[in-house]
Amino acid sequence: MEKKKTEDESPLKANRRHFFSQLSVGIGSLALGSLLIPDLFKGGQGSIASQPIGIPHFAPKAKRVIYLFQSGAPSQLESFDYKPTLKKRMGEDLPESIRNGQRLTGMTSGQDKFPLMPSFAGFKQYGDSGAWISDFFPYTAKIADDICIVKSMHTEAINHDPAITFFQTGTQQSGRPSMGSWMSYGLGNENKNLPSFVVLTSRGKGNSQGLYSKLWSSGFLDSKHQGVLMQSGKDAVLYLADPDGISRSDKRHLLDHVSSLNKIHHVETGDDEIESRIAQYEMAFRMQMSVPDVMDIKKEPKHIIDLYGESSQVPGTYAANCLQARRLAENGVRFIQLYHQGWDQHGNLPNEMASQAKDVDQASAALVLDLKQRGMLEDTLVIWGGEFGRTNYCQGNFDPNNYGRDHHPRAFSIWMAGGGIKPGITHGETDEFGYNIIKDPVHVNDFHATIMQAMGLNHEQLTFKYQGRRFRLTDVAGNVVKDILT
Amino acid sequence: MNPTNRTRWVGYLIFGLSVFLIFCLLFEPFLKPPTLVVWMGQWHPLILHFPIVLLIIATFISLTGKRVPYLLLTIAALTTLITAITGFLLGLEANNKGDLLFWHQWTGSGIAILAAVWYWLDSMGYDKHFGVKVLQLTLVVLVGITGHLGGSITHGEDFLALPKEKKLEKIPENPLIYTHIVDRILTSNCISCHNSSKQKGQLLLSTFKGIMNGGETGKSVYPGKPDESLLIKRLLLPKHDKEHMPPEGESPLSANEIKILKEWISHGATDTLRLNHLENGEPLVDLVKEMMVPNPMEKWARLPFVHDSTLRNLGSDYLTITRLASETNALRVNTYKPPIYDSEIILKLRPIAKNIIEWDMSNLPLGIKEMGLVAACTNIEWLEIDQTPLSDSDIDTLKVLSNLKLLKVYETKISNASIPMFLKLKNLQQLYVWETAITGKALKELQIETPMLLISNGIDEELQLFFTTPKDSFDKKKYN
Repeated sequence: MEKKKTEDESPLKANRRHFFSQLSVGIGSLALGSLLIPDLFKGGQGSIASQPIGIPHFAPKAKRVIYLFQSGAPSQLESFDYKPTLKKRMGEDLPESIRNGQRLTGMTSGQDKFPLMPSFAGFKQYGDSGAWISDFFPYTAKIADDICIVKSMHTEAINHDPAITFFQTGTQQSGRPSMGSWMSYGLGNENKNLPSFVVLTSRGKGNSQGLYSKLWSSGFLDSKHQGVLMQSGKDAVLYLADPDGISRSDKRHLLDHVSSLNKIHHVETGDDEIESRIAQYEMAFRMQMSVPDVMDIKKEPKHIIDLYGESSQVPGTYAANCLQARRLAENGVRFIQLYHQGWDQHGNLPNEMASQAKDVDQASAALVLDLKQRGMLEDTLVIWGGEFGRTNYCQGNFDPNNYGRDHHPRAFSIWMAGGGIKPGITHGETDEFGYNIIKDPVHVNDFHATIMQAMGLNHEQLTFKYQGRRFRLTDVAGNVVKDILT
Repeated sequence: MNPTNRTRWVGYLIFGLSVFLIFCLLFEPFLKPPTLVVWMGQWHPLILHFPIVLLIIATFISLTGKRVPYLLLTIAALTTLITAITGFLLGLEANNKGDLLFWHQWTGSGIAILAAVWYWLDSMGYDKHFGVKVLQLTLVVLVGITGHLGGSITHGEDFLALPKEKKLEKIPENPLIYTHIVDRILTSNCISCHNSSKQKGQLLLSTFKGIMNGGETGKSVYPGKPDESLLIKRLLLPKHDKEHMPPEGESPLSANEIKILKEWISHGATDTLRLNHLENGEPLVDLVKEMMVPNPMEKWARLPFVHDSTLRNLGSDYLTITRLASETNALRVNTYKPPIYDSEIILKLRPIAKNIIEWDMSNLPLGIKEMGLVAACTNIEWLEIDQTPLSDSDIDTLKVLSNLKLLKVYETKISNASIPMFLKLKNLQQLYVWETAITGKALKELQIETPMLLISNGIDEELQLFFTTPKDSFDKKKYN
């Protein structure tokens, strides 16, 4: 008798009688509910909970993102924000009316002078759009009409870790899901044999800042949305390959057994997590075939390798990662996050930046051209940029041939291309010192909102409830920058 | 029935109110009631619900043969009279009474007088009389008519019309800026209050003449001066401002819509301006062109319904089917190469062929069988069949795909023989054909025939050369 009672109470063990007795109440309350709230089953615009997960809210322009993150914060003044005034007033102290009480990092707060420093590299205008691009980036200059340069990015963070965390997760404190995880959560997998969020890292010779796996963590979202770091060595994904001596059929055998055991457990407990685990095992098994296939860049023809540059054949370089990114995008990976370290030029900027630019310039431009010839720039969004900008005054000794620049969060430049972004335009403007934004500022939250919009997601509606409240990538801020969207 | 003191009082009150109502109606043109009395008119929309319900209930009780409770009839008669009087006062505020208001006033007053008569007949004991039944039925009919007229006044004449399918006509190739663009913006945002039957602020926005005439606050448009035009000023006021248009609760115009109205006024606010009168590069051209791009969701609204479970059943590890957006039956299919390929995974999609709008099937060993199915996807707009062994004869069946906008056939075996097929794709906008046997000459000819078509024949040779030539590292000396 006692046993029977517990059986009856288990919510998973509803029998025919339960079903019918509850059905009548259910149908009745449905009818009542739809009378009282006509929109109850419609899921109109306003209702957050009704938006299905895994489908865009509206027809997207971009289906995937390749984010070329320049870790360390490249100087906007030596790349895209041309400021002739700095040359004219070289060596003069930054006027207080411009600095306006902006806080400084510990690295320059001790300086008693802030001498203005012009760009070491020259600038020219390129393309029909007449975009200003520095001589450090001759290849990017060739795609000037394909990209949208945003000169008015700004952030609140002044140090690397909070700033990069802000860009990746929408907040300066760590622990929130990464942008790629949000996309994976909101849009799902295009290819069920590859992770929807992949991370590739490379490192230049310049002064580097650390990268941590928290940047591609799924935070409070399901761990299947976590970024998968792909290595350059023999095993692209760690622990994916079978140990020596285990054949593929052995593995299949093993998985079948594990899966049947898991199914028994699922029948006993009814826990859906078990089903998701079975699915993950199966996906890993398929990835054993699909990952080596996608990662094998030896199949690329010579003219493509030439396009990305010689270093694209050296595994682990930025160029190789760019080529890899294109292959991953072709194979339906939703979000491909590259990081290139070494952009933190507190000193020796002319040399280090020239070397960093050489690492990334050709391959970044090649990626855009390669996507374009495949028609993939139509639905792939490429983003190039760092976590903040650099000061217009020099750090350390005043030497126009060997100077440094400190962190500057108030204005910096990035570029975007493809996937619903207007090509050949420049958005936003800074003052003549390149210090403050004077037109169309774009905050990090706005940047996220805009990318989500291009991907067919309303940044205010993609939410996840955790610890009692709903979270968004843009949390409580963010405006879509409509001017740069097609 | 012995009239008690109280019922006598009620009888006097009902009689008095009836006389007052009749007096008001007869001497309307001479009435100048004080503000407080007019203010009472504002209560009309609240009180009117009592007589509607009470009169119908009372009639219903009476028709079933029972005696109508005295209290019910009293309250019904009183509230009917009060409603009619407050309605009359509210009507005084209208500047000129249209047909709707005229008939609403007289039918409403009729109800009130009839209700008073019913009360009187009932208290005389004639409640079972045949004439009383006729009177009751007349009342119910009148309540229906009056209520409908009143609803038409407050909510617009079409308030009961079935929800219209919001299908705007396609904007023609070379639109008239007023007729096809400005009027469309006004129709979707302003007309519900500024039309010929409900002319708020005396402003009529449904006709060109009406716009030019302006409203009670003055001229709405000063041609050439958008910043002085009231039409624009009201749109740009802060949202909480009482004068802001559209009023609170209505959705505001988009920034682009406001820009278009401004530009139209700058260009003289005429009804003869056409798109081709404007020079390319003028802001109005881009704004109008943006409006001319049809919303894909509307186009897809007519696709057959597909159930989520169908999508789950047809999908597999190597074939993903997703909706292009929530609430649409337009589908995107992504196919990836499985370890062992069987054309059946493609062919079984036949039941949803009409719903497929985008299909990526690149890098698969495709053949004529699969192309046969693709040719049945008559709504397809985006097709990727690049990096496949397809030949001219395989893809010839695709010529029927009149909605196709983008076609990727690079790295295939096709040749010049496919050019006539491309020409049949009337809506084709982008074609990717590099690494095929198609000659450069044939592509040039194709480009001449279809000047708007974007043909990608790989990376431009000069550009490729620039990328292939090794460069010295950044020349530092140049800048010293």
